[in-house]
Amino acid sequence: MDILGNLLAGFQTALTLHNIYLCFVGCLFGTMVGVLPGIGPLAGISLLIPATYGLDATGAIIMLAGIYYGAMYGGSTTSILMNIPGESASVITCVDGYQMTQKGRGGAALFISAWGSFIGGNLSILGLMILAPLLANFATRFGPPEIFAVLVLAFILLGSLGSGSFFKTMPMILLGMFLGTIGMDPLTGSFRFTHEVKDLYDGIGFVPVAMGAFGVGEILTAVEESLVRIIHKVKMRELLPTHKELRASWGPIFRGSGLGFMIGILPGSAHVLSSFVSYAVEKKLAKHPEEFGTGRIEGVAGPETANNAATGGAMIPFLGIGIPTGPATAVMMIALMIHGIRPGPLFISEQPQIFWGLIASMYIGNVILLILNLPLVGIFVNLLRVPFRILFPLVLIICLVGTYSVSSSTFDLLVLLGSGVLGYIFRKLRYDLAPFILALIIGPLLEVSLRQSLMRSAGSLSIFWNNPITLTLFGVSSLLFGWNLVNTLRPKRTWKKALEEG
Amino acid sequence: MLTGFYGIIYSRGLPMGRWNEPGPGVFPFGLAILLAFSGIMIIARGEKTKEEKQEGKRQELLHKLVTPLLIVLLTLGFILILERIGYVASVVVYLFILFLGVCRYKFLLAAGMAGVFGLGSWYFFVKVLGVQLPLSLWGI
Repeated sequence: MDILGNLLAGFQTALTLHNIYLCFVGCLFGTMVGVLPGIGPLAGISLLIPATYGLDATGAIIMLAGIYYGAMYGGSTTSILMNIPGESASVITCVDGYQMTQKGRGGAALFISAWGSFIGGNLSILGLMILAPLLANFATRFGPPEIFAVLVLAFILLGSLGSGSFFKTMPMILLGMFLGTIGMDPLTGSFRFTHEVKDLYDGIGFVPVAMGAFGVGEILTAVEESLVRIIHKVKMRELLPTHKELRASWGPIFRGSGLGFMIGILPGSAHVLSSFVSYAVEKKLAKHPEEFGTGRIEGVAGPETANNAATGGAMIPFLGIGIPTGPATAVMMIALMIHGIRPGPLFISEQPQIFWGLIASMYIGNVILLILNLPLVGIFVNLLRVPFRILFPLVLIICLVGTYSVSSSTFDLLVLLGSGVLGYIFRKLRYDLAPFILALIIGPLLEVSLRQSLMRSAGSLSIFWNNPITLTLFGVSSLLFGWNLVNTLRPKRTWKKALEEG
Repeated sequence: MLTGFYGIIYSRGLPMGRWNEPGPGVFPFGLAILLAFSGIMIIARGEKTKEEKQEGKRQELLHKLVTPLLIVLLTLGFILILERIGYVASVVVYLFILFLGVCRYKFLLAAGMAGVFGLGSWYFFVKVLGVQLPLSLWGI
């Protein structure tokens, strides 16, 4: 009853003309960044941060969240019609989606993808509005030792679930955490690794590093290849799936919703992982798995539902305990902090109008996206007719101005460029960038919670196993670490390899 | 690995504190040790497995590096002149060189597109989004 009452109040906030407009702008912009390869939700959200300065916090988060889940809808369009994933989470959709297009069923693939995204998105918002307040309530009992234990588990999960091997991901986490120590020590005020450079006193900004590694790094990688694009046109009447296709999609859509939501809660590249897991599950359950890769609707319905459901899941740790699990949610957190609001266990109880307004706007946004992505799909696809050699200089300008607008500092632009080069090198060496970025954001919190815990216990490490919460979290972390160690020393056919084969 | 060694050397100069009051040097020192160790591990594993790089592939790799390197240098130039000559002037110059030198458009077309996109981006960022950008000599 409490949830329903809060949700109704949330709809009162979200259904004002101003907030509907902001939700629409976010969804439209999100679909565009999803369609265009090279610009992900992270760059899209960062770019619109300055546009939120004049808004209230509710309007700002409604618009930025719209970009986040809108990008997941848009990413599938190019995967299905052109075999180019607009977003990394839509890579697996290319396999069967493009095959369907070549068989003249691209319209049906787009319809099922949008319909699955709609159902997956709505179910995950339902899960978010039930679980986030429960988690926040539970997390009010958390002190520094519990936060430290949660973060250690998050980092080990990041290492285990990253797209590279555990021992290839861990150095990225360490490097991110190390960069996070640059600047003023939050507890004593002494400067570390600053070499008397004033621009480093506040530490390395997260926005320039993230936009550099993902935005500029992506451009530097993409300009190596010449992109020849063949665009398939889709007519309205081709959008309707057959009875057989509809019947075959229901199972993958509901399984994808559950899988995507659960995987979304985990830190790291949850959207990518959820779509791959969903594809592997559908292939495993299929009567004719050998037909996957030849244009099966299940290979589109499952992954596209899962990556949308993951957005709701990813919002739970961010809104419930103030720990972002991905770069996009981290930028949204920065946007809220610019408005003087820091998500944490007390966020939902102290700022109910923002939380419930956001939840209600996400339901509205899903309806807007369904409308945008079906009848108007042709308009978005036309964006891809813009030659890449015109597009990439504009994307570079977007990244440069987006970064400059946050701090008005050319030093941050140099950090952006340096991170772009670093991102390019990491891509070439096949290192996962998401753990590096996340470690940069949550590393300082890990350090502070460790040091505060030791101060509280007068230097005794027993504070980490004296209560059942930390004991359980450290137990799970140790088991995971041990499992990864064994897997690395005795490489077998891991689930990652199985997924790649899938 | 190098970052790790740098971290070890630098953080030794920071106060380490005691167990009941850890200083600012403890955490980066620990991280730096782990970073150096993982760097050594990567190099050791890499030497064993990656010996099949051929000369031909290296040449191809170097050839592919030219465009990204050019973009990085041009972007560095843009950053260095941005606050000196203002946004509009620097973005037009930057886009012109990108379109002409990297994208291989003809002189007039590159100049036209640089002007249109440069001024268009200024209008979008400053007038629509309200972003504060460095002013050029002619006040925009």
